[in-house]
Amino acid sequence: MAVLECKGLSKRYGHTQALDRVDLAVEPGRIVGLLGPNGSGKTTLIKLANGLLTPSEGELLVCGMKPGKETHALVSYLPERTSIPLWMTAGQLLDFYEDFYKDFRRDAAEEMLAHLNISPKQRIKQMSKGTREKVQLIVVMSRAAKLYLLDEPIGGVDPATRDYILSTIIGNYDPEAAVVISTHLISDVEKVLDDVIFINQGRVMLQSSVDQIREEKGMSVDELFREVFKC
Amino acid sequence: MLRKLLKHEFRATGRIMLPLFLIVLGTAVGANLSVRVLLDTPNKVLDILGGLLIVAFAIAIFGVYVMSMVVMVQRFYKNLLQDEGYVMMTLPVSVHQHIWSKLIVSAVWFALTLIVVGLACFIMAADVKVIHQIAEGFGELLGELYRHLTAYYAVNGTALAVEFLVMCFVGCCAMCLQFYASLAIGHSFSSHKMAWSVLWFFIILFAAQFLGGSGIVLLDETWLHHLLLGWTDNISGMAAMHLSMICLIAGEVLYGAVFYFLTTYFLKRRLDLE
Repeated sequence: MAVLECKGLSKRYGHTQALDRVDLAVEPGRIVGLLGPNGSGKTTLIKLANGLLTPSEGELLVCGMKPGKETHALVSYLPERTSIPLWMTAGQLLDFYEDFYKDFRRDAAEEMLAHLNISPKQRIKQMSKGTREKVQLIVVMSRAAKLYLLDEPIGGVDPATRDYILSTIIGNYDPEAAVVISTHLISDVEKVLDDVIFINQGRVMLQSSVDQIREEKGMSVDELFREVFKC
Repeated sequence: MLRKLLKHEFRATGRIMLPLFLIVLGTAVGANLSVRVLLDTPNKVLDILGGLLIVAFAIAIFGVYVMSMVVMVQRFYKNLLQDEGYVMMTLPVSVHQHIWSKLIVSAVWFALTLIVVGLACFIMAADVKVIHQIAEGFGELLGELYRHLTAYYAVNGTALAVEFLVMCFVGCCAMCLQFYASLAIGHSFSSHKMAWSVLWFFIILFAAQFLGGSGIVLLDETWLHHLLLGWTDNISGMAAMHLSMICLIAGEVLYGAVFYFLTTYFLKRRLDLE
């Protein structure tokens, strides 16, 4: 069964069509790149999967269920912005995640915090922007979720931090789970992807495995992206 | 899950409210010192200091009332409708649990604010002769009332006290829900969310007053009016008190239920986080 499935999914904001009859399926055990230029509908799709928006038409299912509190227990979501409560200390944030998610692995989170020399007593407000993003990623990836939805996890951070974030994702996700990474920084994530979904102006332009692209088109995902989305 | 939400809600709000309570109690001690010692001295500096301590006490009391309202609104706004909303609204809890956690915590802080302010006034007035006498007289009055209630209306007195507390809690929740509904509606718009929220708050206020006023006018000389008039000769004073309290509570429940429905609908169906 697909972990994430969209059937004729559309979303409109007033007269703006953010998603237009999207059909796609994400299978377990795959790392999928949701790739598209800014404003293509990536964040809208991820918000719909998290129940933060309701579809205008069509259907979206997570593990066979409509988004709600049951699917929230199965999905680990990294928003595009820092959303963790800034007044908390890192330790209090771990308490928070441990309280609400049965699949939260506190030992893994503490190990990652220690690796980055972040004290559990340090307030998130006192951390730099990059450190806050790392802490947010740590709590998200410390869950043994069925589906990880990561919205622009490497946007706005330096190359060294990008490497750290990608290695954290690869090193911590459950192999039985699916990971969806939304980004427009293709070259950085290409090495970790199994599949890609190209999205533009709310429509799915391509859904394929990375190996298939390399074999059939004879080019990298980054090269194909530049060709498809040429201005 | 509601218990866990309450735990974190108290943790988030307690870091603001508890220090404020300490400040109120601290300034009460200062005001007490001022009234008993500083204002009676011929020293001008001590006299001014005494005046300042009294002003600080008044500001602290005003501040704690204002802050309990601000915290109630701000927690809903920042925690569910701003950036933190991405974390909170994707927790495995229902919208109903989110709203109830906010309502319960706000009601507790409102109640504690009243208790702390009362305690602060008591501290401020302790050992001051005139105020002490007033307090004593007030205490005697309350004691006398309590004796009468327990002697003649033991069950009714307790029932009235419970009805009063329920009325306060429901009224508190209805007031909070009026703010929550305005914020939830305002934040369903794609831009100028706070401006829309303020506008909706006043639209709701106006609509509630208009409907309430119209209701009173329309019910005049109707069957209900005559029914109530007919009761006046056949119903005891205590029964009328209970009936009034129950009607007030039912009215507040209805008033709050409308805003509860609006808040849950907009958070579930029309949420549009930036």
